[in-house]
Amino acid sequence: MPNLSTIAIIAIAAAIVIWFVSIFNSLVALRVRVQNAWSDIDVQLKRRHDLIPNLVSAVQGYMAHERSTLEAVTQARAQAVASANGTVADRAQTESTLTGSLSKLFAVAEQYPQLRAVESVQLLQEQLTSTENRIAYARQFYNDEVMKFNTRQATFPRNLFAEILGFSPATMFAAQETERANVKVSV
Amino acid sequence: MATQSPSASIAGPRDRESFFDAQRRNRHATWRLSAVSVVATLVMGIPLALTVTPLLYVAGLIVAEIVNIWMPLPASFWQHSGELASYGLRAFQWMTGGKMPNPQALVEGIAVLLLPGSILSIGLWISINSLFRRAGVGGALLALKAREPSASELKELQLSDVLQEMAIAAGLPAPKIMLIDAPAANAAAIGHSPNDARIVITRGMLDRLTRDELEGALAHLVASIGNGDFRIAFRVASVFETYGLLLALINSPFGPRSRRTLWRVVRYGLSFKKGAGDPSEAAAVADLLSRGAGLETDDIDNFFDTTAKKKSVLRSIRNFLLFPIFFTNVAIKLTLWFFSFSMLGPSVALLWRKRVYLADAAAVQLTRNPDGLAEALRKLNSQRAPVPGGAWASHLFLVNPAGSDRMNDPKEEAAHRQQLAAIWAASQPSANVAAPAPNPQSTPFITQEILATSRAAMAGNQDALARMTAFRQAAATALGKSPDELPSLEDIAAAQRGDKTAIQHLAQFGRKVNASETGSTGSNSTSTSQSTSSSFAGFHPSLKRRLKRLDRMGAHVELVTSDRKTWIVVTALSVVLGPFALVAAALLLVLIAIMMMASLAFLAIWMAVIHQVFVILLHH
Repeated sequence: MPNLSTIAIIAIAAAIVIWFVSIFNSLVALRVRVQNAWSDIDVQLKRRHDLIPNLVSAVQGYMAHERSTLEAVTQARAQAVASANGTVADRAQTESTLTGSLSKLFAVAEQYPQLRAVESVQLLQEQLTSTENRIAYARQFYNDEVMKFNTRQATFPRNLFAEILGFSPATMFAAQETERANVKVSV
Repeated sequence: MATQSPSASIAGPRDRESFFDAQRRNRHATWRLSAVSVVATLVMGIPLALTVTPLLYVAGLIVAEIVNIWMPLPASFWQHSGELASYGLRAFQWMTGGKMPNPQALVEGIAVLLLPGSILSIGLWISINSLFRRAGVGGALLALKAREPSASELKELQLSDVLQEMAIAAGLPAPKIMLIDAPAANAAAIGHSPNDARIVITRGMLDRLTRDELEGALAHLVASIGNGDFRIAFRVASVFETYGLLLALINSPFGPRSRRTLWRVVRYGLSFKKGAGDPSEAAAVADLLSRGAGLETDDIDNFFDTTAKKKSVLRSIRNFLLFPIFFTNVAIKLTLWFFSFSMLGPSVALLWRKRVYLADAAAVQLTRNPDGLAEALRKLNSQRAPVPGGAWASHLFLVNPAGSDRMNDPKEEAAHRQQLAAIWAASQPSANVAAPAPNPQSTPFITQEILATSRAAMAGNQDALARMTAFRQAAATALGKSPDELPSLEDIAAAQRGDKTAIQHLAQFGRKVNASETGSTGSNSTSTSQSTSSSFAGFHPSLKRRLKRLDRMGAHVELVTSDRKTWIVVTALSVVLGPFALVAAALLLVLIAIMMMASLAFLAIWMAVIHQVFVILLHH
């Protein structure tokens, strides 16, 4: 018949194992959420790539004098599409160039009242505005999840085991320099 | 910005609270208040179970006696039931101040008195829950007469876009959005899980808010979905519905309305059909929901109406026979009223307010723009108007739809709609097509169709314009008026934009035909009802409190500093009136106890009489 101390030792060992498992599982769940949030950004970037050709062809007729602005957008899109399978840093670079050229296009379009009156252009612009917002929100969500994940890893007692269990802090999706710069529009 | 730890408050000119802190605080408050609410529910349930149990024993006795006629039950059965009665009697004696029986007998006695009633209540609660789970959303949407937004109109496209954005920000599947064509400005989230959530928004709100404000408002609703408010809302509603059903059960011998309610719940609650596809079922649930918590007493009031003209011997005998139930009914009504007014109502309302604050804070987290939500709340609050059909769900709305306490008389409304549908069908241009008889099920869609056509006509669609003109003619002849007296297309459109005079103009017309749609603002806001509406009204925190919390999270709102004097007055009043309220509460409790005893005593006599009657019957 096992005595009381062996039972106690087994119970404590079981508790520790369960505790470890729960730490591991919660970290894994958070990591999956972070990955998922990252792929959500991807989806929205893809959506933007698909929308741009429509927008460009819709506004082309009205903005014949803004050829350079339009070309910049087309070019930036092509680069962004090309880097879709590249490194994260590469992608962040091309996507932010695209964001910059798009916001310039919108700023320029403000000067064409007849363009703003066209319903299809309005709808397209709304879609693109929304896509920009979606990218921003997807990014915000990603950063929030990364923050939760990293905080969880860095706080006691998980910080003692996080590395042993193979977890490392995820990186935030920071704004690029080109996005921080204000768009200059000559009125 | 996001790298800093969530608990550190953001440095600023004022003592700011981060939205993470605000959320954590409100989450904790939720836990505390749910515990209080559960206790309140149990405290309220005990006297109810005590009152209902004897009634169940009476029903059981009658069944046993009837069975006994054809198939004599063993003597041990009667002996056991005699013991059962003595247990209950002893516990009851102790409770009313008699001598203390031994503990085992006491526990058994209490079990005898409490268990059947509790089991019945729990059974009702489970069936209500399953009813909600299956038909709740469809029924709710039918009650609100909502439609899907169009993708080709800029404002409505923007709405779907903003919702998508908010869902992405919250990391949730995007809820479906449904529009209500009403001038009122409000929105609600409806559903039971994030996967089948719907957001209902009125066209009036869409027309009035800017994109930023819309973002804030929808962020609140999406956050509320993500926080799991549905579960809480359904729990709360199911508890109130269960108590309502209990009352319906006791009233069922007296009137058809209670029986109908009961029959419906039994049928829909216990049918194990998967999915909520059946529209008639959804409609029935919507009807059930829209009549509030089902605390209706018309049946029993009519039944014992002594001033009734139809006095007959038979009626008197029947009244005399069923008289004990009257006491049971009064005891239950008093208990429900007293405890829900003093304990369950306030704790649940406070709980819900915390959820609203929580969703506000989470909305700020999603948009990082407290001003949008603050401005949206301010705008919606300044234009509060009832949402057609949205009475029962008023606590789910963004701001309290004041005055929308109850829908019109359902019968009257149905008649109005029927008439409208008939006129609409009669004005169909292709007269060779036999107009289908308008059935009550499809009338909500007809009013929608009319509104959609009027919009199309405003947008310049010639066919729609012709149709609307024909409809006006037909309506004028049907009502015996000249077409000029009826509201024009411009009026309807203006009312949809929220124009006050147009709404009033429509409201006059609305009394004649279309009481439920655009006209409801002016005509029906006076109809208020007692039980549910007053308890749901307190579910909305005041605008001032919400703005104050948003202000703490960084919104730029001008807060009206609260008046010290009102505080002094309130304190003085509560000091003076407090003792009176306590005395009144004590008196009420005594009254409830007396009613319960009377009910019990009469039921006991009743049981004895029933038994004797059957014994005599059996011997002859």
